[in-house]
Amino acid sequence: MLDWNIIFHYFPFLAKGALLTLEISILSLILGLIFGLSAALSKLSRNFLLRNVAVFYIWLIRSTPLLVQLFIIYFGLPQLGIDLGPYISGVLGLGLNVGAYNAETIRGGIQSVPAGQHEAARSLGMSSALAMRRIILPQALRIIIPPLGNNFIILIKDTSLVSTITLVELTLTAQRFIGSTYKPFEMYVMAAFLYAVLTTTASFLLGKVEARTSKGTR
Amino acid sequence: MSTEKHQSETVPMIRIEKLHKSFGDLSVLKGVDIEVPRQQVLVIIGPSGSGKSTLLRCVNHLETPTSGKIFLEDKLINDTTHSRKAFEKHLNQIRCMLGMVFQQFNLFPHMTVIENVMEAPVHVLKQEKDQVRSRAEALLDKVGLRDKADAYPSMLSGGQQQRVAIARALAMEPKAMLFDEVTSALDPELVGDVLRVMADLAREGMTMLVVTHEMGFAEQVGDRVIFMADGVVVEDTSPQAIFSNPTEARTRQFLSDILK
Ligand SMILES: Nc1ncnc2c1ncn2[C@@H]1O[C@H](COP(=O)(O)OP(=O)(O)OP(=O)(O)O)[C@@H](O)[C@H]1O
Ligand SMILES: [Mg+2]
Repeated sequence: MLDWNIIFHYFPFLAKGALLTLEISILSLILGLIFGLSAALSKLSRNFLLRNVAVFYIWLIRSTPLLVQLFIIYFGLPQLGIDLGPYISGVLGLGLNVGAYNAETIRGGIQSVPAGQHEAARSLGMSSALAMRRIILPQALRIIIPPLGNNFIILIKDTSLVSTITLVELTLTAQRFIGSTYKPFEMYVMAAFLYAVLTTTASFLLGKVEARTSKGTR
Repeated sequence: MSTEKHQSETVPMIRIEKLHKSFGDLSVLKGVDIEVPRQQVLVIIGPSGSGKSTLLRCVNHLETPTSGKIFLEDKLINDTTHSRKAFEKHLNQIRCMLGMVFQQFNLFPHMTVIENVMEAPVHVLKQEKDQVRSRAEALLDKVGLRDKADAYPSMLSGGQQQRVAIARALAMEPKAMLFDEVTSALDPELVGDVLRVMADLAREGMTMLVVTHEMGFAEQVGDRVIFMADGVVVEDTSPQAIFSNPTEARTRQFLSDILK
């Protein structure tokens, strides 16, 4: 069955790969939130140009595979003189990708806040932006956080795709050791275990965040 | 100096002139003229769909009038000569002076009662937080909810929520208040508390424009009562006159229907 010696010996190296996976996940999570919120607000804005740029971005990302998006950024862009390297390409590609999914989640959350909330805020003299920041977004957040968390869990697993653009994260670390050990089973089981640790921890933390944002609801 | 003072005393608090409002092909307000003198309570009654809410919402520009003019004292509310940005700013200033209370309360559910009351003075008027807090506490006292300051709206009854909504509007120290059927969503036994708060407010001299189906309130607290139907003012008179001796057949019909 499992070769435990191999596992004990290589686990620390894979754990190091998992750390990079975690780092990429967090950075693309942040990017994804920024892109997602900007695209959501743009899509809801009165500005024709903003709205259509957002619609195009969301459509483009959601109608093409992440793998192809990563290839375009990493292999394609250098042809146009834009060489971002594997790390930035990976984080940017993942961030752009999850951002488009977040955008629809965030927009849905904002729209689910009753119109009366916006009207009450405006009737107290709040500008549209202040009403959004103080009244609408905090309420939308409650609705948004669970699906956003789900997007994040998917993102952690999707980071394995950046192994194809030579970024030595968890999956590529495992693959590399297979070449020298001929133990694909042990390597991939260890990788799977580490992914499960990351996603389970993330779920747990998200549960805590959800509990914190639900104040005021019965 | 003295003429200015004289003028500010005679200019009505709210003046609505030839107000028209359509939603697409549907004409909801068909030339409404109303004046609310300062410190007076004007009650608007009328059948469902007659345009009462639309009228109130036009006053603080939650709806954009199709035509006509609305003044707060001498300031034209729907002043379209501004650039869009300047108009937004102008509107926000107007809205700070016009409190509005809604049928559905619309409290901010993610904030406690006192945070609801403090929100706009702190973040819109940029007033000192400690100062606002003591004023908010006094207002909650006034509406009988001092002990609920740290509760969330979802923990309160409808009547309590509505009284918080009134306190929230008062915290801006508005020149006038708009009430749109504020007791219609309440259980009957909770209506009295809210009406009492409104009657107190009227007694203190607040200028109020009140849409309601509470005829007792209209009669006892109103200085004038307007009967609206199909987007026009049918009758504009004293409470005594409208309830004891309405001149218009439509008013008589409405009152006999509602008092059945
Ligand atoms: N945003 C809107 N879009 C289209 N039609 C509307 C809109 N708001 C109101 N209306 C219509 O305008 C008419 C007047 O509505 P309004 O709410 O002002 O009546 P109301 O007198 O307040 O009635 P109620 O006593 O039921 O509250 C109704 O026919 C209503 O359907
Ligand atoms: Mg109404």
